[in-house]
Order: sequence, then structure tokens, then C-alpha cells
Amino acid sequence: MKKSILIKINGTERHADVEPRTTLLEMVREQFNLTGAKLGCDIQVCGACTLLLDGKPVSACSVLAVDTDGCEVLTIEGLGQNNALHPLQEAFMEFGALQCGYCTSGFILTAKALLDEVPQPTDEQIRDYLAGNFCRCGCYQEIMQAIRNVTKTS
Amino acid sequence: MRNFDYLEPVTVAEACALLKQHAGEAKVFAGGSHLTILMKQGLYQPKTLINIKKISQLRGIEYDNAEGLIIGALVTHREIETSALVREKFPVLSEAEREVANIRVRNMGTVGGNLASGEPLTDLSQIFISLDGKAKISGPGGQRTIPVEELFVDFYTTSLAEDEILTHVVLPPLPPRSGIEYIRFSSSSVVDKPSAGVAVRLTLDGGAKTIQAARIVLGCVGATPVRARKAEALMSGKKLTAELAEEAGSIAAQECSPTSDLRGSEQYKRAIVRILVKRAAVKAYERATST
Repeated sequence: MKKSILIKINGTERHADVEPRTTLLEMVREQFNLTGAKLGCDIQVCGACTLLLDGKPVSACSVLAVDTDGCEVLTIEGLGQNNALHPLQEAFMEFGALQCGYCTSGFILTAKALLDEVPQPTDEQIRDYLAGNFCRCGCYQEIMQAIRNVTKTS
Repeated sequence: MRNFDYLEPVTVAEACALLKQHAGEAKVFAGGSHLTILMKQGLYQPKTLINIKKISQLRGIEYDNAEGLIIGALVTHREIETSALVREKFPVLSEAEREVANIRVRNMGTVGGNLASGEPLTDLSQIFISLDGKAKISGPGGQRTIPVEELFVDFYTTSLAEDEILTHVVLPPLPPRSGIEYIRFSSSSVVDKPSAGVAVRLTLDGGAKTIQAARIVLGCVGATPVRARKAEALMSGKKLTAELAEEAGSIAAQECSPTSDLRGSEQYKRAIVRILVKRAAVKAYERATST
């Protein structure tokens, strides 16, 4: 039986009718057409499906949508404001911190959560926080540069 | 994932009653980091999922001077990692949590789920057992408290009855002159599950600095976390020397039953256990003598 839930997605309150087995990732991609987050490993290892749930990174592939009733969800589509990209998005482009882009929304959202918690992180803090996001194109150095650059200019 | 009924009790009593009512066909759900994977893979196909996240009594971390640190079952790994209270009372837990899985799992996964899943490849259980931690359990018949060690029966099997819920973990205050160290070793990436994790807690007597109580707990190297009781007995009544630490490591390496898998062969894991016990014992002794 479907359950009706109320969530705030990218700042807007939305209703959704979901089966208990529907994951948060399936709901945002299929019901709300927010396809920035990708399904990767499906076991909470790779980080491609990362979304921010009440400001904290989670693996949306393994969160039940019904369990997010009343929560706030931020996807990559909601990160920029007033038709401008977020500084992290700009920096990822500037430093070439992506090739195929599959992991990018996960990296940027995780980095955003880090900077909300620790505005001036050390390299070690950045590495610790992002250790669970995988980039198979191997853009790790460029990702580090991009995040460092945002912390310097903010 | 097969579909299921989804229930959200708001009290422990209600949750236990629901578990009794759906005996054998229900699973307790909290962070979901363990359960959703197994459900997606079809290994668990519960007819009913009982989400206990609305039970506020299971939240929070408190310290009671007599009882010790009381950790609610719904406390997440990340809450332990970042709690000032935990860092003050049991910094070993804050340090260990930094290395548990990744930030996303630590945000969702709970202490209760970590233990009640009976997952053998974890970190917290070894530390809790080394601290003589207790598990508080509620069922339709009331409450009971058991040593954390007695929770674990076999791979993914605990001593919790079908209608019982783990509600809290209690870590008694450390006796004076105690030192603890936890070391985990991952054979692939830092975010992988450990191939071995060893906790050593030593408590010394007043004057002579001899070891009064030793706890050596070996994790990830068997169906359940296990105490290396022979190695503990060896240390009892002695001062720690480099030779004693070495010997304790060698004995402990024979007190576990690791399986050969992608995280290392049986022989490899025994070698890791030997070294980790040695190193953790030296560090724990150092801490105990400096308090």
C-alpha cells in the first residue's frame, strides 16, 4: 500500500505517494525527475547517489522514501541559486574536477556538507570526509584543488 | 526489493507488541544501512518492517556517574564521532568512529542496528566488550540487561528474541588506572570493512603497575567478536614488557577463527591479529600508567 509523505525538496514542499520499498533515489529520479544523483554500487560504497538529507550526506540508494517524511532533501539541481551555479560547481569546472561526471553530484553535495560544517577544512579533513566518494576517472587531485580553492575564496 | 507493510510505533512497548504480533515475519528497522542492502539483495524478505525511529526514548547519549555512558539504540555512528561527551569519557570511541565505513553510512547507521544485525565485520562491538559494556533489552515481558558479549551467537545471529528490541548500550565508568586502545586494519581501502579489529583494555593495580584486569577482544575474525581469554590470563598479575605483549599477541592469534576471503587468508588475518594485539597492548598499558 502506498504511503503519502510530505518532504521539502530543494526548498519546495512536495507531496509524494510512495510504496514502502521505494528508495529516496528512485523517488527523486522517477517522481521528481531530478536525475543528477546516479545509481552506482547500490550498497552505500561509491557515493554516486549522495543526497543531503536534513543537510547531511546519505546514500539515497539505501534510504527508504517513506522514512524521509517531514525531512528536507537537497539535490544537485537545488544547489545553485538565482540562476547562478554554486561556487563548488564553478570550481569543479574551473579545475577540471570531472571527466565522465557520474560521481560529480555526489562529490559536490558531500563537499557542500563539509563546508557547512567546517568552513575552512584542512586537506586531511577534506580527504576524511570525501573518502567514501569514488571517482573512477581518477580526478581526485583536481577535486581537492577545486574544494581548496572554494575555501580560500569564501 | 519485495514490498512490505511499514509500521512506525512511537513507544518501545508498542514496538515489542507489534513484533510479537508479526512474529517471524517482521524486521526492526532504524538507519537501514544494513537492512536495505540485504532486502535489495533478497536475503531478507520481511512482510513487515517496523521502523523504530519515532521512539524518542531510544535517542541520545547521557552520562550517569554511577551507571556510566548510556547510548540510545538510535544514536548514529556520526553522533558518537562528534559527541563532546563521548570524546571526554571514551575518546577511543570517537577515534574509532572516524574510520567506520563512510560519512553517509555514519549519518544513517545506528549503534542499535550495528549490534542487533549480528554483522561480524564491525568495530563497535569489540570496544564495547573490552569496556565491559552492557546491552539493555526490552521485550513484551519487561526489560533485561546482558553483557554485550552475550548478544552475539553466530553470523548475523544474536540472542535477541523475535519480539525484543535492543534499547541502550551502557558503558560503565572506566576503573582508575585503565588504558584502552582499538586498532582496526583494512586490507583494501580505508572505507572498507576491517579484516581485523582489536580492542585491548588494561586496568592496573595501585602500586606495582601490574595488570589487574585485561580485556583483549578480537573482531572480524570469526562469526562473533571473541575475547582472547588465554592471552588475558597470561597478562594478569604481570607488568607489561615487550616480550609479554609479543607472547599475548601470539596466543590471541590462535584464539580466533578467521575465514579466508577477499580481505585476507586465514593465516594473514592471524598474523594481523598477533601484531594488533601487541601494539594495542603496549598503547593501552602506556595510557594506563599515565593516568
